Amino acid sequence: MEERPCAVLLKFPGTNCDAETARALEEVGFVTETLPVSALEPGKLVGVSLVVLSGGFSYGDYVMSGRIASLVTEQKIGKTLGDFRDNGGYILGICNGFQILTQLDLLPSGSLVENASGRFQCQWVTLKNLAPTSPFLTHLPAEFEFPIAHAEGRLVTKDAAEAAEYLSSGAAALTYRDEVNGSFERIAGLQDESGRVFGLMPHPERFLHRQDHYDPDWKSTGEDESRGSGYYFFRSLHESITKSN
Amino acid sequence: MRETYEISDRFIGAGDANHLLYEPLSSGLTFRRTRRYELEFEGERTAMDAFVRKTLFDEISHDLHEGEEPGLSGFTFFLDYGMKPGALDLEKEAILRYYAGITEPGFTLKNLKIRQRIYLFGGKVDESDRFVRDICNAAIHQWNVTQANV
Repeated sequence: MEERPCAVLLKFPGTNCDAETARALEEVGFVTETLPVSALEPGKLVGVSLVVLSGGFSYGDYVMSGRIASLVTEQKIGKTLGDFRDNGGYILGICNGFQILTQLDLLPSGSLVENASGRFQCQWVTLKNLAPTSPFLTHLPAEFEFPIAHAEGRLVTKDAAEAAEYLSSGAAALTYRDEVNGSFERIAGLQDESGRVFGLMPHPERFLHRQDHYDPDWKSTGEDESRGSGYYFFRSLHESITKSN
Repeated sequence: MRETYEISDRFIGAGDANHLLYEPLSSGLTFRRTRRYELEFEGERTAMDAFVRKTLFDEISHDLHEGEEPGLSGFTFFLDYGMKPGALDLEKEAILRYYAGITEPGFTLKNLKIRQRIYLFGGKVDESDRFVRDICNAAIHQWNVTQANV
């Protein structure tokens, strides 16, 4: 019987998308464990293939979104997540998880600040897949839709040139097709050099099924018409991990 | 010893102040928010400063202003508000809990006072009472309004 890879979902006070993210991971074949940050210690990642930082409002987004969660993570396990990646592990940050990963320096330098609109934005967006060979994106087409729900999703870098460099280097794996929140170069998702650390503001776990889409006539480009693009995001990841194990 | 830091967002410009109010004004005021941290401490000042920069400040998206003087200029007035001493301040709790977990921080944090500061720009008459009424909650907040000409 095929062994199912294990995904650990870190849960901070204020994390609120872990249940549906765990459901998405289980649907594509992962076994999952939700780990409260109070129980986090380096040994907890032994035998784990994927660490997920889900969406939400960790520590009330105090100071800046993701800051306190990143500090507490670093305080509890130091550089363990970096070692985990270097030893072949995968790390995914969705929305608030993406904000935390940028603060942990596990992704190219950048910060996620208040949307240019000054408002919380909850809408569907079209994304451009700029890294079709990414372990997270192999089953997704050149353009696809995911929902977003964030107030602080505008990716900024120290200057505009750095963001442009992310486009040319491949670090910018996902961009918004249209202007959404003022992100530099419309960047919606970043990956690190290894390709195993990936962060994005949109929520793939909210589009597992065709009927999750706002348009009842929406048609999937994947092999299973009943599935949404989010399913193929997690399926790409599962396939990459099982192939690499 | 006591040090004050004010942190503003580098990428967020002045917004329409009517977004802060239940009923719009006609005076065309704009606003910017900052956060103000007042730390009472004993020990190494450099260690305390490093703590502030690591915990409260983001090199990419923030500007850091040290001292009592306002971090922004050109304002008509500003409103400082924060939690009353007896009210639960979750931001303060999160910061203090993180501080308590640091081994050998190099300084002792005796007290931390956090204030949200809203700068208002423009306008010809004093309309600060409208902002106090709509932003502050007398049950949990303390506040203070400072006019530019004071």
